[in-house]
Amino acid sequence: MKKIVFLICVVFILSILIGLSQNVFAQLKPGDPIVIGVPTALGAIEGKDSWMAAQMAVDEINAKGGVLVGSTKHLLKIYSIDTREHEPGIPVHDALTAVEKLILEKKPHAIVVGAFRSEVLLASMDLISKYKLPYICSIAMSPLYQKKISEEYDKYKYCFRNGINSPYYVMYLQGVMEFLKKEFGFNKAYIIVQDVLWAKATGQGLEKWYKEQGWELAGFDTYATGASDFSPSLIKVRAQKAQVIMTIFDMPQSGILLKQARAMKVPALLAGFLSPVAPENAWDVFEGEVEGVLNLIDEIGPVPVKAVPRSVAFNENFGKRWGKDARMKLSGHSSPGYDAVYILANAIERAKSVEPDALVSTLEKTDMTGVVGRIRFAKDHQVNYGYDPKETALGCVIQWKKPGIRVVVFPESIAEGKIELPPHMK
Amino acid sequence: MILRGAIFRLKIVPRFWRKMLPSIIIYGLVNSVNLALIALGFSLTFGISGVANFAYGGFYILSGFLVWMLLNYLKFPFILAIIVTIGVVGLLGFATYWVILLRVRGIALSEVIATFALGVGILELFRWLGFVTYEFTLPYFKKGMVMIAGVPVDYQRLFMIGIGLALVLFLYFFTHYTRIGLAFRGIAQNERTAISLGIRSDWTAALSLAFGSAMAAVAAIVILPLGIISINTGYEVLLIAVAVGIVGGLESVPGILVASLILGYAQIITGTYFKPQWMMVVYLAAIVLVLAIKPSGLFGKFKELEERV
Repeated sequence: MKKIVFLICVVFILSILIGLSQNVFAQLKPGDPIVIGVPTALGAIEGKDSWMAAQMAVDEINAKGGVLVGSTKHLLKIYSIDTREHEPGIPVHDALTAVEKLILEKKPHAIVVGAFRSEVLLASMDLISKYKLPYICSIAMSPLYQKKISEEYDKYKYCFRNGINSPYYVMYLQGVMEFLKKEFGFNKAYIIVQDVLWAKATGQGLEKWYKEQGWELAGFDTYATGASDFSPSLIKVRAQKAQVIMTIFDMPQSGILLKQARAMKVPALLAGFLSPVAPENAWDVFEGEVEGVLNLIDEIGPVPVKAVPRSVAFNENFGKRWGKDARMKLSGHSSPGYDAVYILANAIERAKSVEPDALVSTLEKTDMTGVVGRIRFAKDHQVNYGYDPKETALGCVIQWKKPGIRVVVFPESIAEGKIELPPHMK
Repeated sequence: MILRGAIFRLKIVPRFWRKMLPSIIIYGLVNSVNLALIALGFSLTFGISGVANFAYGGFYILSGFLVWMLLNYLKFPFILAIIVTIGVVGLLGFATYWVILLRVRGIALSEVIATFALGVGILELFRWLGFVTYEFTLPYFKKGMVMIAGVPVDYQRLFMIGIGLALVLFLYFFTHYTRIGLAFRGIAQNERTAISLGIRSDWTAALSLAFGSAMAAVAAIVILPLGIISINTGYEVLLIAVAVGIVGGLESVPGILVASLILGYAQIITGTYFKPQWMMVVYLAAIVLVLAIKPSGLFGKFKELEERV
């Protein structure tokens, strides 16, 4: 009798272990929806917009009958959870708990959008590996993500990223800096970044580049998430006569930096990324003080680019689906959330399955045109970004100009205007 | 020009320091007034009623959002929105005493827990309602700037300095020449004696909550136009109020002013000559230092006897 009980226990434990090693949620019966999880910072504009964009893509696909898996069409269903990871003081562990709660309760077949903070993204990778869930990250940008995938491919092969990453980010900003040097003779910059992984990595990348290119770096300051007084840095920018303030911030409070710089009449060009400056309504919110600011739009789509018709369509359709107000507030990150759903749907149809390993294989072979341009994953599972929408995905740099419009000024292949010095610098 | 000239004649000061001294002097003052404005209301309430109003940050942010909503939803004129907000937040402080604090009065830990819970409740309610983006800004009183010693200073910061000084003068005259003010001081000096002279303790304490909360509203209305209304600022404001209070002496208005100057300048100097990420450490270091050397604060009296013993 004891032997039988022992054997039952062994079989039971083994079945759990085997079950955990496979994706237990991968089975799909006729009529079952394909479940997509969106665990992200829904309180952050980028997180909320990305979720809305993903939901819009799901609605579009479902309106056409769903995703064809083998011979049966399945509808898509999204479940989201707010990880609150963008808020100061929220530990990574809390965000991970939210991610795992979503996985266990909603049993998604894949995850899109994903982490907002790189700290959470990197910590999530083991969780994703444990549950063997295809995961397409659309927001967090640390290059360490790719490094880990390359180093331990078998473990982290389920992780992909279709949003921009820090090195590509630096690439676009370098292009703008080269133009400023050539056109206006600028050679002195001051870097001010948020004290988070991706922003520091971007700042350090730019610092290295500035030094290599013979720019004088007047300073490099970091501010904690939630900081609301930037005057010490602005005092130094003024005193050292820096021509460019390179800002890298994704927190709402970074709008204060712009307001303070204007109030203190700092005669320098604000360039880089301030998340509140990206949306279409920023001109009204900041009462025209954004004039002249050069802001990177992480991926095209929130800003419609005429050379990429799908970005124009995305922008218009977003307004139709969620209202004009939501479109006006569309942040720098959002279109990859939309593209991620299409990438996943496309991969499922090609794999004829939602089985994770089959999906990884088809995801790796993705070659499609999305809102951001051409989407292809590199070996390290990062979508290639560049300057030609026929070859790569694209981010762009806009400049705010009168009467309150965002003009695409970089890269030149899609530019709709030239960089001009704002009135306070002429 | 005189200030600027004098600074540049100081040969012993390194050139880099001299270059930035006018900015540091002016923005250090602005920062100090900013801290004083934030801490005065907290200190007033504590000095009179002995209640540490940990809902202070919540009231501060509530004031900002209330003005914003009155301006944007109900299209109130700015000045009317300001008056209504100060009145409403003052009343809320008054009600807080009767509804929440009366039952736990005298139990310091319960008072702190109750008011902190209220503050967190207010802040997290706004977060839940979606007041989390960059759109929530208040208008400047007047746009524009002037140059002082070669340093540009906007009118809003000058208003801040002016209103900060006016508030201190108001507090002085109010507590020395009005019946309510004298009752405040009476209760603050010795509650039992004051009660024996007919001053009603609960009413005075409730009024101190109301005045302290209204002062949080004034601070919010003056300071928030310089940035955005952010929920996290509510928590930061509470930390500032407590830090300034501990350094200066929680119940002492002169102490608050001196502590604001010390911390305001220390922060700007730290941010300018070292790294901005160390600015927050200034508060914590000051708290630790003062608690170790003089726990009642630079001008505080509450614990003097225990300190001597």
